[in-house]
Amino acid sequence: MPRFFFDTDDGNFRNLDDEGFELLSIEAARIEALDALPDMARNKLPAQDHRTYSVRVRDEAGTVVYSATLDLVGEWHIPRAGS
Amino acid sequence: MFDTLIRKLSQAGGLTEADHKTLRQVSLRSRQVPARRDLTSEEDRPENVHLVLSGFVCRYKILPKGQRHITALMVPGDFCDLHVAILDEMDHSIGTMTSCTVVEISRATIHDLTANHPRIAHALWWATLVDEAVLREWLVCLAGREASKRMAHLFCELLLRLSVVGLVKDDSYTVPFTQIDLADMLGLTPVHVNRVVQHLRSENLIVLRRHHVQIPDKARLMTYCDFIPNYLHRRPRVK
Repeated sequence: MPRFFFDTDDGNFRNLDDEGFELLSIEAARIEALDALPDMARNKLPAQDHRTYSVRVRDEAGTVVYSATLDLVGEWHIPRAGS
Repeated sequence: MFDTLIRKLSQAGGLTEADHKTLRQVSLRSRQVPARRDLTSEEDRPENVHLVLSGFVCRYKILPKGQRHITALMVPGDFCDLHVAILDEMDHSIGTMTSCTVVEISRATIHDLTANHPRIAHALWWATLVDEAVLREWLVCLAGREASKRMAHLFCELLLRLSVVGLVKDDSYTVPFTQIDLADMLGLTPVHVNRVVQHLRSENLIVLRRHHVQIPDKARLMTYCDFIPNYLHRRPRVK
């Protein structure tokens, strides 16, 4: 089975995956990447109203084969002190 | 190795030399089981109770789409399935994570221990209650702790559980899990598990190398994840 590496970034902590894991196909790697984004968002509450979570999939040769981002955007609709 | 069980059950208190002898006899005949084999599977009606003497065993369920969730870890000194002495059919599976030394104890022997050896019966009851307390803590972790604290909490728990049976040296022990195993235990995706491991490592909370974890400062790790070891009930009730 091919091995894929998943680099991730939540704007605060960037992780370059040097371990990776084996998956059946590139399609399975895509699903793992997409699946990871809500996990990352759930575990990092944004201090500001905008945060981007991203994941990048590399194959064994180091080629980036897929990437995905998740934008979390909050917006006030009433006047706020200091904004 | 036979004393692994005695070390574990002694936390319940009250066992005598005669009880130790009985427990040694019970755990005399062990066998080796390779890694990643089921000891019993869901819907089985097993005749024997399994006791782990070496290696790691997990309790798990498989969802219809094939997704596995690990609900418990059994380490040396732990019974996997005392309930089979009473319950009719397995509602989950029990499998080895590493190669293991396992003792199979017949239901008849368990019935004899509980009927004729009251202090051992008390200790087995204690072990069952602690298993339940650990399950409760895992449930709280899944529902309420964020990923990196959830993982840190697991490493704190294993530090204490493994030290009881002499498997911790200099706050360091073997963790034979893959990222997938950790993901299935912690309710996280494997990609996020990798992130969390690196995060804990970058904060110098754990040093993880080749299936070996070392905890540089256990007080700091415990504070980090709000670890309170009361649920392991390591001291017997005095009064």
